[in-house]
Amino acid sequence: MDKLILSKDNLPKFIDELIKKNTVFAPVNNNDIVIFSQIKKANEANFDFLNSQYPPKALIFNQTETIFKFKPGPKGDIEPIKIDEKKIIFGIRPCDAKSMAILDYAFSGEFKDPYFLTKRNTSVLIGLSCMQPGVNCFCTSFDDSPASSKYVDILLTDIGDKYYVEVISDKGKQIIKGENKFFKPAKESDEKSKKEAEKKAINTIKRTQKTEKIVEKLDKIFENKFWKEVADRCIGCGVCTYLCPTCHCFDIQDESTLTKGARIRVWDTCMNPEYTLQASGYNPRPARANRVKNRVYHKYNYYPKNYNVIACVGCGRCIDLCPVNIDIIDVVTRAGEVKP
Amino acid sequence: MNEKFEPNIIGFLCNWCSYAGADLAGTSRIQYPPNLKVIRVMCSGRVNPIFVINALQQGADGVLIGGCHPGDCHYERGNYLARRRMAVIKKLLEHVGIDPNRVRMTWVSAAEGNKFAEVVKEVTEDIKKLGPMQHFKRENKW
Amino acid sequence: MVNEKELQDAVKKTVEKKDVKYVVGYEKGTYGFQAKPSFAYEPKDAEKFIFSPLCVHNLAVFPMLEEKPPLRKGEEPDTRKIGVVVKGCDSRAIVQIIQEKGLDRDKVVIIGIPCSGVVDPKKIEAKFPGQIKNVDVKDDGDKFAITIDGKTTKVAKDELMPDKCKTCQYPTPVLYDILIGKEIKSSKKEDYKAVKAFEKKSMKEKWEYWEKQFEKCIRCYACRNACPLCYCKECMVDQLDPQWVRRSVDVSENTAWNLLRAFHLAGRCIGCGQCERVCPMGIPLMELNKKLEKDILELYDYISGIDAEAKPLLAMFKPDDPEEFIL
Repeated sequence: MDKLILSKDNLPKFIDELIKKNTVFAPVNNNDIVIFSQIKKANEANFDFLNSQYPPKALIFNQTETIFKFKPGPKGDIEPIKIDEKKIIFGIRPCDAKSMAILDYAFSGEFKDPYFLTKRNTSVLIGLSCMQPGVNCFCTSFDDSPASSKYVDILLTDIGDKYYVEVISDKGKQIIKGENKFFKPAKESDEKSKKEAEKKAINTIKRTQKTEKIVEKLDKIFENKFWKEVADRCIGCGVCTYLCPTCHCFDIQDESTLTKGARIRVWDTCMNPEYTLQASGYNPRPARANRVKNRVYHKYNYYPKNYNVIACVGCGRCIDLCPVNIDIIDVVTRAGEVKP
Repeated sequence: MNEKFEPNIIGFLCNWCSYAGADLAGTSRIQYPPNLKVIRVMCSGRVNPIFVINALQQGADGVLIGGCHPGDCHYERGNYLARRRMAVIKKLLEHVGIDPNRVRMTWVSAAEGNKFAEVVKEVTEDIKKLGPMQHFKRENKW
Repeated sequence: MVNEKELQDAVKKTVEKKDVKYVVGYEKGTYGFQAKPSFAYEPKDAEKFIFSPLCVHNLAVFPMLEEKPPLRKGEEPDTRKIGVVVKGCDSRAIVQIIQEKGLDRDKVVIIGIPCSGVVDPKKIEAKFPGQIKNVDVKDDGDKFAITIDGKTTKVAKDELMPDKCKTCQYPTPVLYDILIGKEIKSSKKEDYKAVKAFEKKSMKEKWEYWEKQFEKCIRCYACRNACPLCYCKECMVDQLDPQWVRRSVDVSENTAWNLLRAFHLAGRCIGCGQCERVCPMGIPLMELNKKLEKDILELYDYISGIDAEAKPLLAMFKPDDPEEFIL
């Protein structure tokens, strides 16, 4: 791992250089919220934010993705899509970067999803450490930190008057090699400053979720009436699923005019009853209690059983935005304490 | 405005009055602009505002709804309900920035072939002046 | 100031009745300025019920969210009533649903609370950010008394209230079985100032504004699910045959969705603002609904959610309805 320094004056210049040769996405202000959008100049980005409203997984796992094109007719002309995007996502938070690694498991496996994996392999994640985590951030409950470099290609940490840069992967090294003139090697005192800043950020996080042995505990309380009490107030709005960086349910539909069409993949939400509605009219998850329980189990029981990782990164978006205050920290901690 | 712009207007004509009126205009060999594309519905009260929105999305520059005169609806009251609905949809479109004159309504009875032709002439002229509908067209970019 | 003991006693009395399944009210949230809907199935559950300016949710959405699972052989349907704790605006939603015959009057027990204004979560979060411990907010005349870490700050209501509270004409529930406290009469009047100001803009400006807003939409349908009046068993956007609104997310389909929903609420929207509150992308949905509310008042002299015996706006007509737009 290379350790470098980037001065605050050089940051916009570095970004402008990147823009010349790449497609760069950065957090941009959009009225009251921040969304990752493409920028044409470094000053369009706003790095004074907590986290984007809309998770950056949308840049790799697009909300609307064309799978192939076709022309209706007896011959059925199918034209595959060339996935040819190289993105730099600048300013991604360590929790969101971890979520991409979590999503990797879902899209690899026996059938590899080219739409997600090609973009994932060609995109570069330049992370920005969280120096002031929010009220509902709890990445530390998963042995992670707001300044973790595990899942990004390059990590920038603000240590006062400059950025401490950690270059982790080969992709990251390539980027830095091209823009060497902006970087200087880091000193040991800089590394210390980064560790102190990280410790300060970790201490700001006050809320913790108890996830000890959660897989076994959840196994025992599947039929418990605890879930009805939790889910009674759920109105099935689906905001938690659309803003969760690890949610990945989708639907596939065909759209066409009279002369051409395409098969597209769109985000879907398991909180809708239609998600599991079968053609016969039977619905295996008829009640909202079933669906809320399924969501918690998917993240904290099924995913760990399949891939050995809890599919929650502690970003806190679902807690901030749930209209009826269904608090995942509270739900999972209490689920761990329910007597089976 | 582009001289060659020929608007695309979708007409939802009720079966008993305005469609029959359009038929009469045809059999009487009355000349009127060919821009209207007719969809026959049984009653103007059948017209759901989503039809209007879908038409504007898919390439229509204007929409015309034709119904029976008040009191003459074959189903007693469909045209009255449609009258309220169309007033509301016009106000909504105006608020979003789409000219409400793109969505028109008319009472044409089965005996008013002349009136039908006049209406189509007037609506086509008006929409020619407004220009092509650009705002929320389906791009079909794939 | 609402007497919480009186509220809890009323809820206890209601739940004790054999023909009431549960009562839904508010309880303390899990952090900061949150309150959350709470369900009392037994009399002792009523002790957690509260009411404060933090109770921003519209609980009238829950009676229509009742799921009716298919019955087993010999099983009787559960016909017990549901109790709902409502503020002034919320009660209008229940009245409107009763007017449309979506709910029977005798299937719901309405516990009304005269409300003198709630806080706007976004505004209070902006003024006092980063609160983890539960904050106490009390109603204090024309101010809110906010107690953080033992220190109380008083802030003028006008600074923290949502717009709907500033022009509220119905602070006392219009229909109720039990009223907690005394009726409040409103001196405010809805003047549609923001709508009128927007109407003066040019067509081009209007579309540019709304195009930017609709581009943000992610079609999560939270607005539809949080709205007490969106209770269709199958929403038009979920229909596949015919598919009116495509599932792909772009300006065209987003515009179609938002216009479709605004139209379906014409003459029915009671202005509770839940749609705007839950929208994760901050789209100003109430602007569309307020515009239609104003025009419907002018054209047809109709106000939604006031009279349970009145006929719904678009299900009826008058022979002399305005028709100057008809050729």
